[in-house]
Amino acid sequence: MERITIDPITRLEGHGKIEIFLDPEGNVANTYFQIPELRGFESFCVGRPVEEVPILTNRICGVCPEAHHMAGAKAADAVYHVDPPSTAKKLRELLYSAFFVTDHTTHFYALAGPDFIMGPDAPVAERNILGVIHKVGLEIGGKVIQCRKYGHTVVEMIGGRKVHPCTSIPGGLTKGITEEQRQEIEKMGRWAIEFAQFSLKLFNDIVLGNQAYVDLILGDIYTHHTYYIGTVDENNKVNFYDGKVSVVDPEGKRLGKYGPSEYTDWIAEHVEPWTYLKFPYLKKVGWKGFVDGKDSGVYMATPLSRLNASDGMATPLAQAEYEKFYSTLGGKPVHQRLTIHWARLVELLYAAERWVELASDPEITSDNFRTIPTEKPTEGVGIVEAPRGTLTHHYWTDERGITTKVNLIVGTTNNYAPISMSIKKAAQSLITKGTVVTEGLLNRVEMAFRAYDPCFGCATHSLPGQMPLEVTIRDHEGKTVDVLKQYC
Amino acid sequence: MDFSKIIIIGLGNPLLGDDGVGWRVAEQVRELCEVDLDCLSVGGLSLMERLVGYDRAVLIDAITTGKQPTGSVSLYKLEDLPDLSAGHTGSAHDTSLQNALKLGQSMGVQLPTEVVVVGIEAQSVYEFSEVLSPPVAAAIPQAVQMVMELLK
Repeated sequence: MERITIDPITRLEGHGKIEIFLDPEGNVANTYFQIPELRGFESFCVGRPVEEVPILTNRICGVCPEAHHMAGAKAADAVYHVDPPSTAKKLRELLYSAFFVTDHTTHFYALAGPDFIMGPDAPVAERNILGVIHKVGLEIGGKVIQCRKYGHTVVEMIGGRKVHPCTSIPGGLTKGITEEQRQEIEKMGRWAIEFAQFSLKLFNDIVLGNQAYVDLILGDIYTHHTYYIGTVDENNKVNFYDGKVSVVDPEGKRLGKYGPSEYTDWIAEHVEPWTYLKFPYLKKVGWKGFVDGKDSGVYMATPLSRLNASDGMATPLAQAEYEKFYSTLGGKPVHQRLTIHWARLVELLYAAERWVELASDPEITSDNFRTIPTEKPTEGVGIVEAPRGTLTHHYWTDERGITTKVNLIVGTTNNYAPISMSIKKAAQSLITKGTVVTEGLLNRVEMAFRAYDPCFGCATHSLPGQMPLEVTIRDHEGKTVDVLKQYC
Repeated sequence: MDFSKIIIIGLGNPLLGDDGVGWRVAEQVRELCEVDLDCLSVGGLSLMERLVGYDRAVLIDAITTGKQPTGSVSLYKLEDLPDLSAGHTGSAHDTSLQNALKLGQSMGVQLPTEVVVVGIEAQSVYEFSEVLSPPVAAAIPQAVQMVMELLK
């Protein structure tokens, strides 16, 4: 097979490119998925004071600025070897919990919802948030908007801005909250708990109550047996803001846990010549290729991974849902990728309960929200769980605190290998012996992506909702058989 | 029309080179007159939420049609721009502004009946930079002028 050279110009096109190679019989031999990576952030940050970087990283990604801000804030704390006071950590986690509620809600109703509530065979024009609201009722649309409003209000109160927070600095925050704000935040949190429970019930009634959907979820096409990672607290319960990253094997056995400063002992990056993005894998297991199994270092980081990598949820209502999740699906760990959508709702409930827990904590209104750093800055790592997976920020500075180097492992990067494997499986189901089923192909491939919730919005920087995709199918001599395109 | 409530929104990411032009134009408009104005880096649902309570909205943003010279300034009606998520759940985090407006309107929320976009044809929106390319920077006065005309 010929070597493929990537022309640097392609990275500016801003869409996903997939190359499918057929073997001499006309079956899928290999697929190559090229993510155009938004590059230059690392060089852009060099020379900036490190306390600016968490505010700059807000703008890497229009989808989860809060996650980048928090990972950056924790990295900046680590660079200065400073431990923020308990109130600052709780306020940050409170902001973060409200953000998670907003993000998970939007994801489920606006975009995952259409795959299930409308169904993958529904007319294309109805498979969007309007179709969902039409089917479930306008009142629910109103609740979704209300939920987003509450979440953004909390982010604004603690973070200074509705979507792009800016109050985290090395050692803590620039401000705290008043008792009046605390009461408002608690009230909104209680509403969020009810809404999360309602959403789980909706999923139960509409999705789990429909055999066709259940078959789709449990089907082999989106199932892979890989390692799973996710942050857990000291009791091994899921935590989005802080803790250690737990790593479990495809049978559910814990390989270990690592703290931020140890991530380079656990995660390495594999390079392939045909794409800019590297493939993270577990160093202790080794890179064995794009394959499933206990001997392959491929791992996944998603809501499903977090549930698989933990021993449970830290709040009672979410814990009950966690137990129901696993008992329904036949035990731990669960490998079907489409169940990520359900796992996301379990997390939604936890985030809402945590919101109320933190808002009710007497320390939350304390004015001790900053520890002034005293040590010389050097290097630091901050890890949080972004809604779509473990997010790592690693900053290096000189002795004045001026940034000299930045390394980021973002959610989608973690999942690059699993996504590639899922795409191959999707392609294999639709291409046999030279026959290509073109209408279903792009949709199946997209559904494989959507389950992982990839950061395409950030890479393509295109209008929200678009997933520009170009799929080229080549025969075993490399000659183009077909090109399928959407939005590019 | 004189009494209709209008909002001007500069859109874009100020760290992505030419994508920051929307903010630059909006900032100049802010210096020239008293009008409700905001600089945002959001789209879809979040952008719709910002338009609540207004009759008209003017959005200023970089655009990459690839069909006109860099620095061209054009006026578009929102409904004439392609709706890339009509029936298409490509992104897992949002929907198009057109869809989001329909959603809000269907729930009885007060949203603008007229949304126009002042688009500046951009060159480089994929690289991190705080500097605009020269043709895009040169287009700022023309874009400001277009917005001021819309406010009359």
